[in-house]
Amino acid sequence: MRDSFSTYHPLINFVYFVAVITCNMVFMHPIFQVIALLSAGSYSILLKGGKAVRFQLLFMLPLLLLMATVNPLFNHAGVTILFYLDNGNPITLESILYGIAAACMYVTVILWFSCYNAVMTSDKFIYIFGKILPALSLIFSMVLRFVPRYAAQIKVISHAQKSIGRDVSQGNIVRRARNGMRILSIMMSWALENAIETADSMKSRGYGLPGRTSFSTYRFDRRDTIVFLIMLGLMAVIGAAAFMGQNSIRFFPSIRIQPMSMVSIMVYIAYGFLCVLPVVIRLVEDIKWKFIASKI
Amino acid sequence: MEIYRIKNLSFTFPLAEREALSNIDLTIQGGQFITICGKSGCGKSTLLRQLKSILTPHGQSQGEVLFHGQSLRDVDQRTQAAEIGFVLQDPDNQIVTDKVWHELAFGLESLGYDQQTIRLRVAEMASFFGIQNWFHKPVTELSGGQKQLLNLASIMAMNPSVLILDEPTSQLDPIAAVDFLETISKINRELGTTIIMTEHRLEEVLTVSDRLIVLDQGKVIADDSPAKAGEILHTIQHPMFASMPSPMQIHAGVGSGLDCPMTVKEGRQWLNVYLEDKAAAQTKVTTQSLTTPSSSVAIQFKDVWFKHERGGPDIIKDLSFEVSEGAFYCIVGGNGTGKTTTLSLISGILQPYRGKIMIHGQKHTKWNSKHITAHQLGVLPQNPASLFVKKTVELDLYEMLSDHPLSKEEKQQKVDSVVKLTELEHLLAMHPYDLSGGEQQRAALAKVLLLEPKILLLDEPTKGLDGFFKQKLGLFLRKLHHQGVTIVMVSHDVEFCAKYGGECAMFFDGSVIASHPAEQFFAGNSFYTTAANRMARHIWRDAVTIEGVIERCQTSTSLSRV
Amino acid sequence: MSDQHITKPRLSRRTLFASLLILVVIPITMCIGIFVLQDRKYYFISLLILLYTMIPFAMVFEKRKPQARELIVIAVLAAIAVAGRGAFFMLPQFKPVVAIVIIAGVCFGAESGFLVGAMAGFVSNFFFGQGPWTPWQMFCFGIIGFIAGILFQKGWLKKSKLSLCIYGGVSTLLIYGGIINIGSLMMFTPHITWEGLLAVYASGFWFDMVHAIATVIFLLLLSRPMIEKLERIKAKYGLIDP
Repeated sequence: MRDSFSTYHPLINFVYFVAVITCNMVFMHPIFQVIALLSAGSYSILLKGGKAVRFQLLFMLPLLLLMATVNPLFNHAGVTILFYLDNGNPITLESILYGIAAACMYVTVILWFSCYNAVMTSDKFIYIFGKILPALSLIFSMVLRFVPRYAAQIKVISHAQKSIGRDVSQGNIVRRARNGMRILSIMMSWALENAIETADSMKSRGYGLPGRTSFSTYRFDRRDTIVFLIMLGLMAVIGAAAFMGQNSIRFFPSIRIQPMSMVSIMVYIAYGFLCVLPVVIRLVEDIKWKFIASKI
Repeated sequence: MEIYRIKNLSFTFPLAEREALSNIDLTIQGGQFITICGKSGCGKSTLLRQLKSILTPHGQSQGEVLFHGQSLRDVDQRTQAAEIGFVLQDPDNQIVTDKVWHELAFGLESLGYDQQTIRLRVAEMASFFGIQNWFHKPVTELSGGQKQLLNLASIMAMNPSVLILDEPTSQLDPIAAVDFLETISKINRELGTTIIMTEHRLEEVLTVSDRLIVLDQGKVIADDSPAKAGEILHTIQHPMFASMPSPMQIHAGVGSGLDCPMTVKEGRQWLNVYLEDKAAAQTKVTTQSLTTPSSSVAIQFKDVWFKHERGGPDIIKDLSFEVSEGAFYCIVGGNGTGKTTTLSLISGILQPYRGKIMIHGQKHTKWNSKHITAHQLGVLPQNPASLFVKKTVELDLYEMLSDHPLSKEEKQQKVDSVVKLTELEHLLAMHPYDLSGGEQQRAALAKVLLLEPKILLLDEPTKGLDGFFKQKLGLFLRKLHHQGVTIVMVSHDVEFCAKYGGECAMFFDGSVIASHPAEQFFAGNSFYTTAANRMARHIWRDAVTIEGVIERCQTSTSLSRV
Repeated sequence: MSDQHITKPRLSRRTLFASLLILVVIPITMCIGIFVLQDRKYYFISLLILLYTMIPFAMVFEKRKPQARELIVIAVLAAIAVAGRGAFFMLPQFKPVVAIVIIAGVCFGAESGFLVGAMAGFVSNFFFGQGPWTPWQMFCFGIIGFIAGILFQKGWLKKSKLSLCIYGGVSTLLIYGGIINIGSLMMFTPHITWEGLLAVYASGFWFDMVHAIATVIFLLLLSRPMIEKLERIKAKYGLIDP
């Protein structure tokens, strides 16, 4: 099923992810962390299904445990000393908590990135950077075109080499490595020689003339404007709160959190709304669609 | 209206002794469909590249090219980019971006059109070329024919007044090629765009061309309507005549005073008129066994099944066939029917999940590098360039023997004899990638022959070759065949199989449907057969080759004389 | 193009500007970020570094209005690196990316080296998944190619196997391993301590070693044919000069 947030303008998608990932990296405040983790998790499940996310988390588990334990082992800052290691170094409560918070943040970042990978397709990326970095985004598009082509060609070449008795999967390691390199080397000649024709094709179609424009199939419509304004508003609230120090937490030497107040609750709500925005959009559209469908 | 005026154009590549083009003098009228043909290396591509400044290679040039009455050098790049469309040979190489829609817009972006204009043009082109269904796809998912169509569409989007195409169908299979040429013809007919193209497939393209220009060694040797140009070639006994459409060749071979036929339809009518007052020669009863099947079997497939993945579809289904030792076995059939997979099964790179494959009576075991040598198999892949490693042809040939415990003299002797056989003497010092398609093919074949194969497997060996090199390859394969090498060839090229093949098998849906000696095979098919046969089959069902039809025409006795 | 030919023996102003940014401004930002912002701003810093490395190259490159051939060369080399990374997927850390990036830097100059590296890092993550590691990889691959280009221009790095292999091994171990490890350390500890640094280097040592050895092997076997091929293409079609 197609995700409705993905159908919004690429700029909305991109700004959204930049905003949530940046916030996630900067704000270590536990409530912020929990909000981000829950919304990133739910959006990720919506996009990729529970199974994929569970697999991903399972895959990350050892890394997380490592992260959570390594920090207290090497970081001895903090005033609440729990016990001493054999080598005389203290293990502090603060550093354990910090390790957990960092691990939690890392999971969230990974989850956000997994959503980002699903939503920000190469087309959208090229669209956003096509205007400011036309040459580089064209290179990007070309690389995306070449990689699958080269991968297929590697297969063709290794087939051909196999059929004259050269194979990467046979013989001792030196032979294998030599055959592998030979394939890579053949691929390289092939790629370079063929690239000349690609350059010709570009020039022939007027590449290099001044005043190149960049075409896209996207349009910034009213729906985009509304969501964009909402996003900007929420980001302004969060930014102002950050400036006032509402979102921060200090771990060392002792933990100090900004006490909860009416203002901070407002900020939590704003942040929470920003984070679940795609999920809300998706749900609203699902309901709308069901409503329309029931009328038909 | 005059589009191009080429005045005494000569061109020499740097460091080359011979002129690539000499004294070309042509006038090209707007709206014409012009086909340029000639042997590989005759200067066709060089000539086309003179017609767009940005693609003109470095070198010495004399004379002048006028575009719309203005010297091409003075026509600015923007006008040239928009007005002169250029489609190159390889469909893959021309595609720059990763998405179809982006590729369509590429030229328009370069020209600096605004969003709205591009949107409209792209929509127009997608509709005209029937691209709308794959408009959002990544280009990797397209077939070869679709890719070339995309290249064409993205150039047509710039609305050029002249379209230049350099062997655009040489990498396509026959059906995609005919579709593509049909589209070109539609562009010419419906949009009035001038077409200048070089092409090997003259059979299809000449029927829609207004004018045929034949080049030889950089000179124009014929320039007229296709029928007349063909006559000129015939009178000067030019080898290019062998590439002309079959009806034309038969007409010339028989030498009647009738009008020259171009298409199969005209050819049939021509034959009817020709035989009106004659008694058609009797069909020879072919009782002789064409190939003397030796008792031993080289390759045997027994109920073979194959698929790439466990859950995937079966590529090869219940395939059983035999190739006897010393046979020249051709496998023909459409795209994606499993022909190439069958070759990989023979060479042992792929393994069937059910059934048995026997080579020289031995069962296939799991593949290892000794397998190739043990069974004396040689495989020529579809893309010969995928075999070249070194910087000269000679080094590449020696590289093939690098794993063999041979003395220097023995190696040299082996290489020398293969070089002689494949006529590579004058190419030894060249870089493999600097060779033409036909030469690359021969060099790759030489590499394979160094393995001294008893069984030679060929995958589409005629792809991209012109008539001349095809003939050379055919004769060469025949020579190997006479030396007792078993040849298995997968091909789309019906004419080639009919002319040189011993036994032909029709491949469809993962299995061999029918397999007969070549003449009998093509005589039995009504669509999948040679043009000569389609032209003459209502009279001589078994006449498959051009020579066959000519011979029968000539032996038909005139009734009036009796 | 013409002014480049005149100033060819010396480093061009662009290269100087870029090296100033990369070698001075970025480390300073990193230091400021680490020592002034305290605690927990490291992800943020890594993003800043991405911007810093991209901006000068991107701006200079875009401003120059590169020709089709330059784009093609960079795209082809980056794609080969990515496809190569994919082709050796079964051997962790055994990747040809660094080798190809170094050769790109040597054959086509520091800037191309950087762009090939950064592009390869970026695109390969498009295939294998973006994450917080993307900017770090882009930076490491890029800077290795960039330094290779500069060293070659200065004459300290030769096109010989030995010289390339030494540079390849050392740069992979020290530059790539060194920076990537700091990056992963900063993801989960608030302070860079010697112990932590040592621990992370020790735990990553074998990965880095395999990576370095892979680079040396690839350079040993691949550098000569690849440089020959690139030179041939340069000569045959008049491709870009460094």
